[in-house]
Amino acid sequence: MTPNGIPIGDVLLASAALFTIGLAGALLRRNAISIFLSIELMMNAANLAILGYASALHSLEGQIVVFFVIAIAAAEAAVGLAIFVALFRHTETIDVNKINLLKW
Amino acid sequence: MSAADLGIAALRVLAPVLVMLIVLPMLQWVERRGAGLIQDRPGPNRVGPFGLLQPLADVVKFFMKEDLIPSNTDRFLYVLAPGLATFAALSTFAVIPYGATLTAGGRSIPLIGADISIGILYLFAITSLSVYGIVLAGWSSNNKFSLIGGIRSSAQIISYELAMTTAAAGVILSAGSFQLTEVVVQQGGSWFALPYRGWNVVPQFVGFVVFFVSAFAETNRVPFDLPEAEAELVAGYHTEYSAMKFAMFYMAEYINVIVASALTVTLYLGGWTLPGFSPSGIVGVLVSILVFAVKVSVLVWIFMWVRWTLPRFRYDQLMRLGWKTLLPLALLNLFWVAALALWKVL
Amino acid sequence: MTARFAFDAAMALAILFAGVMVVHRHPVKSVLALVVSFFALAVGYVLLSAPLIAAIQVIVYAGAILVLFLFVLMLLNVPAEVRQTPGRPIHHTLSAGAIVAFAAALLAVFRSYGASSAPPGPLPANPADLAPLAKLLFSDHILSFEALSILLLAALVGAFALARREGSP
Repeated sequence: MTPNGIPIGDVLLASAALFTIGLAGALLRRNAISIFLSIELMMNAANLAILGYASALHSLEGQIVVFFVIAIAAAEAAVGLAIFVALFRHTETIDVNKINLLKW
Repeated sequence: MSAADLGIAALRVLAPVLVMLIVLPMLQWVERRGAGLIQDRPGPNRVGPFGLLQPLADVVKFFMKEDLIPSNTDRFLYVLAPGLATFAALSTFAVIPYGATLTAGGRSIPLIGADISIGILYLFAITSLSVYGIVLAGWSSNNKFSLIGGIRSSAQIISYELAMTTAAAGVILSAGSFQLTEVVVQQGGSWFALPYRGWNVVPQFVGFVVFFVSAFAETNRVPFDLPEAEAELVAGYHTEYSAMKFAMFYMAEYINVIVASALTVTLYLGGWTLPGFSPSGIVGVLVSILVFAVKVSVLVWIFMWVRWTLPRFRYDQLMRLGWKTLLPLALLNLFWVAALALWKVL
Repeated sequence: MTARFAFDAAMALAILFAGVMVVHRHPVKSVLALVVSFFALAVGYVLLSAPLIAAIQVIVYAGAILVLFLFVLMLLNVPAEVRQTPGRPIHHTLSAGAIVAFAAALLAVFRSYGASSAPPGPLPANPADLAPLAKLLFSDHILSFEALSILLLAALVGAFALARREGSP
């Protein structure tokens, strides 16, 4: 139970739902950028779970961990999108089913 | 929370918003007559004495124009974009203190919309969201000039946001708090005793310049208005907008100018404080509101003055200025403020 | 209106828009749905007494990372996904099975470990105060903080090196 009266079960349920939706997106979409978006959603679901526990256990370490996770996600998004841009220049498509050659 | 508490809270939030919406037509008149003054021509002088009813005529024009939505546009995003821009512009004012704390009837009412602990970070968050209004307007218009204008404008905003927040970080460092009420109160002390408790513009002049210049870029005003310049991109991201939706973009731009001025006044020019003046009672609070209003008006006039004086930057010059000049200057300012804090001057 | 009700409403909104993101065919609309979802999550973070993380979520995640996604989508002019005619029934069934199994496993884990056995630490005097968090960040975690700044520099240089055209400065 967090100080604001939110039971940890609510937080975990929301986190699980978001993570599962993100997983569904990552497995079922064909567009590389949509897959990447679903991965970002999964990271946010994890952030939510960490913050839920940080709040329930009255710990500030959880907030610091989430701070680092968000910053790392930013770095990862930048590099990932640069990769997609470079890929698109070569293959003219972002459909992951069509990008199936190791060298072209 | 009693009804009286709720009423007071609502009034605290709505009062500046209503004042801004009422002042908006007058600002437009000031801008056009001021432009005439600077360019040695009369400005609007047909409608009413000194053209004072010109804003009214403009409002009537906006209402009566055909409100068309081009085909092949994404209707939902097209209609949402101006609303989003105006909403973001109005919400930013919620954390700016516009007067001293009023103690009346056993309550102490801080004259600010919401005195949250993350104060200025809320403001930067809402500015980040206002980028979406512009990007959506540019993209949903189904027009390559709008798209280029929208993307250029949002790239400009996120680039200058860095310099702006780093300059503001210097102020946060010297005040020791994100809350703008704290920042203003700490500028209301003595200018001549150590630790320095006067306006932040004196020890952090470089930061002030960086912040003010970045505010021009954030609000898409000349000399940084390439994304919406007529000679370059028709009208940039609001090319395809007419009548009321265009009026909303126009309003959003003026409200952004007022908010940027108010923020500069709060961070660097002492907010509602005046050296050697401590507000007491209702009269003191009213005087503090007046002081704040005067300072904001001076800065808004400077915004307009610069608009009709300087030529605009080319896009690559604009980006170069933001990244290679203002950001390093803001970082140097941060080091300087940290050094001052270490030497116990601040 | 209690905090719990507000939190549940915010989470419902976040989950709804996350669903919209996953289902919508056009990637730009997906990104916008995700922006709303992240904003709702930030509201949830405020209710979990983490206002700084909520502000950082909106500024960094919703306001910078997703804007970057939008730029890339608009500049590459990525089209909406069209339903493939031969379909991929094996892929779809296996994915659905994996997702359902994973969700069941996750719920089972949360049911048994939901209530932590560790005792809660001391109640913070003022959850809205940001000073203790800042002190902790810059004393115990200063090494991670500095390493993070080097990581961001590496990401900056890497992104620039990957995305530039061949032979241009």
